[in-house]
Amino acid sequence: MKVIIGLGMVLGLLVILPAVEHAFAAGSEVGEYLDRKVAIWGLFYRLMIIAFTVGTVVSGMIVWLVLRFRESNPKAKPTPYEASGDW
Amino acid sequence: MVLELQKPRPIWQIMFSTHHTDVGLLYLITSLAFMFMGGALALLLRVELFSPGVQLIADSMTYNRIFTVHGTTLIFLFILPSASAFGNYLVPIMVRFKDMAYPKLNAVAFWMIPPAGALIWLGFADFTWYAYPTYSVISAPGPAADMWIFGLKILGVSSILGSINFVVTIMKCKHPDLPLSKMPLLAWAYLTSSLITLVAVPTFAAALLMLLTDRLGASGFFNPAMGGDPIAYQHLFWFTFHPEVYILVIPAIGFMYEIFPRFSRKPIFSHGSGVTAFTLLAIVGFASWAHHMYATGMSFTEKTVFMVGTLAAVPASAMHTFNFLATMWGGRIKFATPIMWAVGGIALFFSAGAGGVVNSAMPLDFITHDSYWVVGHFHLFVMGTILFGTVGFVYYFFPYVTGRMYSEVLGKVHFILSFVGTVLVFFTQHILGLFGMPRRIYDYPAIPEWVSMNIIISIGAFIIGIGMAIFLWNLIYSSAKGKPADMDDPFGLGGKYYFPYQAKNPSH
Amino acid sequence: MSGHSTWPEWVYVGVVIALLCYVGAEAWNIERIIEHVPEDAELIKVTGQQWLWTFEHEDGTKEIGELHLEKGKAYRFEITSKDVIHSFNIHEYTVLLDAVPGKINHVWFSPNVAGEFDIQCREYCGLIHYNMRGTLFVADTGA
Repeated sequence: MKVIIGLGMVLGLLVILPAVEHAFAAGSEVGEYLDRKVAIWGLFYRLMIIAFTVGTVVSGMIVWLVLRFRESNPKAKPTPYEASGDW
Repeated sequence: MVLELQKPRPIWQIMFSTHHTDVGLLYLITSLAFMFMGGALALLLRVELFSPGVQLIADSMTYNRIFTVHGTTLIFLFILPSASAFGNYLVPIMVRFKDMAYPKLNAVAFWMIPPAGALIWLGFADFTWYAYPTYSVISAPGPAADMWIFGLKILGVSSILGSINFVVTIMKCKHPDLPLSKMPLLAWAYLTSSLITLVAVPTFAAALLMLLTDRLGASGFFNPAMGGDPIAYQHLFWFTFHPEVYILVIPAIGFMYEIFPRFSRKPIFSHGSGVTAFTLLAIVGFASWAHHMYATGMSFTEKTVFMVGTLAAVPASAMHTFNFLATMWGGRIKFATPIMWAVGGIALFFSAGAGGVVNSAMPLDFITHDSYWVVGHFHLFVMGTILFGTVGFVYYFFPYVTGRMYSEVLGKVHFILSFVGTVLVFFTQHILGLFGMPRRIYDYPAIPEWVSMNIIISIGAFIIGIGMAIFLWNLIYSSAKGKPADMDDPFGLGGKYYFPYQAKNPSH
Repeated sequence: MSGHSTWPEWVYVGVVIALLCYVGAEAWNIERIIEHVPEDAELIKVTGQQWLWTFEHEDGTKEIGELHLEKGKAYRFEITSKDVIHSFNIHEYTVLLDAVPGKINHVWFSPNVAGEFDIQCREYCGLIHYNMRGTLFVADTGA
C-alpha cells in the first residue's frame, strides 16, 4: 500500500513538474527568450527521478532476492527440482 | 576436457588443431591476454588524469594513442574473441554435434587475430577507436593509422567467418532430436549475435576500405575538399557499431543464462521469454544507430526517429533482467564466485540501461555528448555487464578447462574489488560528465569539482587493477596447482555440471 | 512455453513501455521548444580549426578565442570547421554542436547571466584537442 502511494506521488510529480518548468524556462519578463539551460536540465532532473525510482526498486529487489534465497538463510528450503537433480 | 598441464601435448599440436575445444582454448588464452593488456593501458590513462598537469605521460599524442589502443584492444581483441572462445567450446556440445560445421575455417578465423592484434599494437594509432574522418583522413599520422585500418579489416573478416560457422553449426548440424525451442539460451545467444554480425559488419568493412582510399588520396568519400561528406562515415560506422554493442552484450547475457539457473538450483524462469528478447533485440538493434550522432547537425525529424528506435530496444533488455530475477526467486542459491559476478553484472546492466534511456532523450545530448557521462555509461555496459558476465563464466568454466578448482576466496576478493572499483569509477564519471569534462582529453583545467572526481576515479581504477592482478595470479596458479575438481559437480550444486553430451578431443 | 504464470512479466513490460513513452514524449517536446529560433536572433559565425575558435559578428567584427556577447539578447550560431570535425561547446549554457568541414550547423541561445564562461571542443581533433578552449564574455547591458 505504502509502495503504491509512494510511486503514485512520484508519478504525480512527473506530471506537474513540466508545467512548473515551462513557467520558469519561458522567462519572467516581456521580450525574454526561452532559457535553454532550464529546459534541458529540467528534463534531465525529471528523467533522473524516474531512473532513480526504478533503480531503487530493481536494486532493492535484487538485494532482497539475494538475501532471502541464499542457501544459508534459515528459511531456505530445497527447490522442487533438487529431488531429481535435473534442472 | 582438461587443460594440457596434467598430460602435456606438444604445443604445436594445439596450435595446428582444428578441434573446437583446442580452438576455443586458443581464443580464450588470447582474449584474456589482451584483456590484461588493454586494462593496463587504462591504468596508465588514469595515472595521467589523476590531477591537472603532467603525471606520467609526457605529451598528448602518446595519451591519445593509449586511449585509442585501449578501446580497440578491449572491444576487438578481448570481448569478441572471448565470446568466440566459449562459443567454440560449447556450441557443438549444446547442439550435440561433434565439432563446429567448418573446423578448418574455425582455426583460420582464430589465427587472423594475433596478426591483427600485432598490427594494432605495433601501429598504436591515435584517432580514437571510431577513426572519424576528416581527422583520420587528413590529420592522423601514418603508418599507425593504416596499420589500424588493416588490423580491423582482418578482425572483421575473422568475425564474419566465425559467425558463419556458428550459424551453420546451430541451424544445420543440430541434432535432429533437439528442437530450437529446447536449445539452451546460450546457444540462442550465439545464434542471434552471429546473425547480427553477418548483417552489420560488412558495412564497416566498406567504410574501412573507403577510409583507406581516402587516406591514400585516391578518393574523397569523406573529405569535403574532394566533394565528400565526413558524416557519411559516421552513418556507416554506427550502422555497424550500434548493433555491435548488442553483439558484445548478448553472449555475456547468455553466460548469465547458464549461471543463474544452475546456481539457483532451478531452471530458467522463461526460456521463451529469453528467446523472444534475444530475437527482438537483434532486429530492433538496427534501428537506433544515429543516436550517436545527435550533435552532428541532424534535423529534428531524424533525431526523433532514432530516439524512438533506441527506446524500442529497451524492453528486450528489461525482459532479460526480469528473467534472471524471477529465476532467483524461489531458488536455493549457492553464492559461489560465478553467480556473484552474474548478480553484480545484472545490477550494473540495469544502471547502464537506465543511463542509456536518459541518453536517448535528444535534448540531453547537449549536456552529455562526448563528455565523461558517455564514458561512464558505456563502461558500465562493457565492464559492468560484459566483463562481469564473462569473468563470472571464466570462473564457472575453469574446472571444465583445467580439471582443477580456482581459489574461491581469491575469486570473491576479485569480485568485491571489481564491483567497488567499477561503481567508484563509472558512476563518478557520469557526474563528471554532467560537470562538463570532455572525453579524450590529455589534461584538464583545475576546476575543483573535476579535480576531486578525477582523483576518486583514479583510485577506483587502481582498485579494479588490484583485483585483476589477483585474477591473473588465481588463473595461473590454480591451473597448475589448484585442487582437482569433481568433474561431475565441481561447485557442489547437486545438478549436472555440463551437458550430458561431452566433447571428445581426438588428440587426448 | 514456460508453463508459468506470465502476467507479472506482462505488467512489468507494460510499465517499462509506459515509462519509455513518457521519456520519448517529453524529449520530443523539449527539443521542439528549444529548436525554435527567434526571428531577431543575431548571427554569429563560429569557425573551428586545429586548435582554436574564431568568431565573426554580424557587423564584421572578428574575434579569436574570445566571444563578447550581451546579456538578454538572442544569438544564433552558424558553426563550421576549416579542417577536421570539432564540436563547439559552451557547457554552462548547454550549447553543443559539431563543427563539420563542408557543412554549416545551426544552434541558438540567449545568455541570461553575465560573466565569463568556458568554451571547449567536444570532438577529438588531434594533438591539442584537450586545450582547444575559448572564453565567452557576457556583458551586462545595464538595462
